[in-house]
Amino acid sequence: MKDNTQILTIITYAVLLSAVSVLINDIREFDLNQFREFTNWAKAADKNDSWFTSENAIEWSFYAISTVIFFWRGYLIYAFYHFLPILREIKKGNYFSDKNIKYFKKIGNIFIWYTINVLVLRFLLASIGESTFDFFDELKHEFTFLIPCGLAFYILAEVFKKAKQHKEDNELTI
Amino acid sequence: MPIIVNLDVMLAKRKMKSKDLAEIIGITTANLSILKSGKAKAVRFSTLEAICKALNCQPSDILEYTEE
Repeated sequence: MKDNTQILTIITYAVLLSAVSVLINDIREFDLNQFREFTNWAKAADKNDSWFTSENAIEWSFYAISTVIFFWRGYLIYAFYHFLPILREIKKGNYFSDKNIKYFKKIGNIFIWYTINVLVLRFLLASIGESTFDFFDELKHEFTFLIPCGLAFYILAEVFKKAKQHKEDNELTI
Repeated sequence: MPIIVNLDVMLAKRKMKSKDLAEIIGITTANLSILKSGKAKAVRFSTLEAICKALNCQPSDILEYTEE
């Protein structure tokens, strides 16, 4: 088991590093290209337009929402990070510890919230006319599988909770 | 818990030490202490049998039920 946890830890680190590097690269591209385009456009925009209905506000919304999507992607990576303390606990032999239960719940939470929030943000992006939004099309996206994954982690947390209780009962059986 | 363990009383009656009983029945003193303090969630029949044999008593001498 210890050898397996070692391999799993290495894989988790690899996944984390690649996810972080992809995110950083996306942020860099977003800043350098899109934000520069926006600032140039903002300089040339008509200042007499009313703020709320102006294209300026719409563009701002687009960039703000895109930034929030980056935040959520970072939050998803934070969920992957929680695999490491779980693996550490398993390595120590504490399979049904409170920490594991807490982390499973946290991962489940993050997966579900990420999916819901990104769906909402994509809908908002579509509503401001920057992209198209089809709910069923969005459901086909890979990230939507994170909802069943999140639920699976919730179930796992419940199973571990029960297992911990049984373990304690077993330890207190003389 | 409404089940009370009177192991202390039986040990005193038989003038036996906890350590000796633990050795005879083959459990650790820590486990015997859990049993004596009433923290135990369950007792195996084999343990109960060994205790009754060592103390020459009945299960009812060790375990008692009281209303909460």
